[in-house]
Amino acid sequence: MLVFAISDKGGTGRSVTSTNIAYRHALQGNDACYLDFDFGSPTAGAIFSVSSVARGTRAGGLHEYLRGELTEPQRIDVWAESDREGLRVKPPGAGRLVLLPGSEGGGELSTVDDEMANRCVQLFSRLEEEFDLCVVDVSAGRSFTAEMILQATVRLPAVPFRWLVYHRWTRQHIIAADGLVNGADGLLDVGARFGHDPEVLRERIRFVRTAVLESEAAELVGLRDEQRAWLSAYDGELRELAGRHGVGRTAMLGKVPLDPILQWREQLISDEDVLATKIANAETAAAFEDLAKKIMDDSAWEGL
Amino acid sequence: MLVMGEVHTGLLQNSGEVAASTCRRLLGLLAGQTVRVSRRPIVHAVSPDRLTGVDCRLPSASQSRVRGVGTVLTRCSITGGRVVQGSSYVRIVRAAVDRRLPWSHYLARPGVMEVLGKAKPRDLSDGFTDDLPGDRLSGASAGRTRPDPARPDPARGDRGPGWSGSAPLDLGAISGRFVDLVQSSPLLDRRAPFKIPRTRLRWVAESASESGAPAIRFTLHNDQLRTLRLVHDGEFTPAVAELCEDLALHDWLLTTLLVIVERALTGGAPGPEAVAKLTPAVDHLLHLWMPAARVDETLTPLWESLERYPGFTRQWQSLVDRIRDQISVNMLTLLIRKGGW
Ligand SMILES: Nc1ncnc2c1ncn2[C@@H]1O[C@H](COP(=O)(O)OP(=O)(O)OP(=O)(O)O)[C@@H](O)[C@H]1O
Ligand SMILES: [Mg+2]
Repeated sequence: MLVFAISDKGGTGRSVTSTNIAYRHALQGNDACYLDFDFGSPTAGAIFSVSSVARGTRAGGLHEYLRGELTEPQRIDVWAESDREGLRVKPPGAGRLVLLPGSEGGGELSTVDDEMANRCVQLFSRLEEEFDLCVVDVSAGRSFTAEMILQATVRLPAVPFRWLVYHRWTRQHIIAADGLVNGADGLLDVGARFGHDPEVLRERIRFVRTAVLESEAAELVGLRDEQRAWLSAYDGELRELAGRHGVGRTAMLGKVPLDPILQWREQLISDEDVLATKIANAETAAAFEDLAKKIMDDSAWEGL
Repeated sequence: MLVMGEVHTGLLQNSGEVAASTCRRLLGLLAGQTVRVSRRPIVHAVSPDRLTGVDCRLPSASQSRVRGVGTVLTRCSITGGRVVQGSSYVRIVRAAVDRRLPWSHYLARPGVMEVLGKAKPRDLSDGFTDDLPGDRLSGASAGRTRPDPARPDPARGDRGPGWSGSAPLDLGAISGRFVDLVQSSPLLDRRAPFKIPRTRLRWVAESASESGAPAIRFTLHNDQLRTLRLVHDGEFTPAVAELCEDLALHDWLLTTLLVIVERALTGGAPGPEAVAKLTPAVDHLLHLWMPAARVDETLTPLWESLERYPGFTRQWQSLVDRIRDQISVNMLTLLIRKGGW
């Protein structure tokens, strides 16, 4: 399964959530890999705590691969190379967890040619042969990278893929996420141009809400009654807005609660963080775990 | 002087075993000529040889700049309708003159690469088997040539390929692309029964007349990469390449079975879930083990020495026993629970 992670706006939590999904999927016993296609700022290495590629790799990154400068991009075995001690041993029963880093200083793609799309096809096709899940961090907004992926997936008709569109739970984010999928030059529009059937493509897109404050969250305890009442009313308004924009509950795959630790640092949330040091909330880990299951679960992707 | 090759082996991307007639069509895509199919002791289909023109730097342990010009021979095969292999090799010989000749000269010598200037066989073979791009999983791939069999073959043109400068010979890239071509065929449904990486076997063969007694050394470098160095009696023949392909096939089978058993039996308690993870191996792999089935008689002693150490069949058999035991124990438990025993 190829999973493309995109968001309209930057800083929505796309990378943090996607890396945690890949991590949880590997813990669930599957082989997972993560491709950092966010060529403008390839920082997945930092989230996996592989400091040697914290801002991308100097030689062998995906950028160089797509430009045809190498035959195979670099792979990093996270279980072997993470600097975090808790990650450096593969837990019994876990699958492989492999990072394909972007190139340091690579820059956004400024165009996509046929050759590049072909290399992308070859890469996806080879990875899909050996990994249960390949998560691709596509970067924010409309980009040549997203275009290249839409082109590549048309040429891989038998390879299953899905898109996750991340957004925060705010008015602007809801409208923007809708626009990225349904708007002019959005995923459906561009996808159709390259030969995707828009209705089929729509079935392969789901939304993920990030950093959501639930009304029962501990963060809300200190609030005045008036504030709480306002929040609750506004939450209703947002739900209604989301429904109107096709970003409502039925099109949503899951949501991730706001977690203080993630506000401070981009990282994987391990069970140790929840159970031993207790720096992360159990709900956050559970949300990632849930997404990691639903991403492969066909019943969560049945027709809207 | 010596022969270098690289074999890539992977699971054919189809839900079930592929019929011999389909194998024929899959491999026919590559060249349009006749595909050879043998049915005993197992269905084995081989594409015709294809040539890729190269003019590039040769691997060298001492980092010397050695230029070679010629053509690489590649073929693809499918064994048991289940396992696909891309195999490329090239015979390295000294050139008579130290400059590149008209391309027709090289076309008349398929699968031969002529070395321009000085080169020591030992330096080349060490360079090829020791300086491995993916040796460390995180090591950047040094492979920078990008042959593309889908494009018009440079070997068939009359001018041949241009000098690719610092790009080293990358047989793996050629083999890999041929495997890609088969895997991307619309004749395959791409719903393979399990996910599994390809393996790569790099080999160097030298003749005993130049390098002493016949010998074989097989080395595992990481989960995917293996090297094989062998010294054979007499002159090089394609049978040596076939031996390497057979070894690569069996190494892949063994590697894959190890992975499947590990996935099934570590972490959780043995039970129906473990058995569910083991059944694809029973359905798709166990009957494929036929070491040296197609290996030339003169070369079987080399296979046999690998059977003594590291002992491929011994390890395979113990895994097979383990799988069978797991499945029978589980069956028994189910029967007892149902009160049917
Ligand atoms: N569930 C969460 N709770 C709190 N903070 C979060 C959560 N998810 C992500 N964050 C924080 O939000 C910020 C942006 O996250 P991240 O870097 O993953 O976003 P992004 O969409 O990948 O951004 P960019 O477009 O810049 O790549 C980070 O500081 C991250 O730690
Ligand atoms: Mg990011």
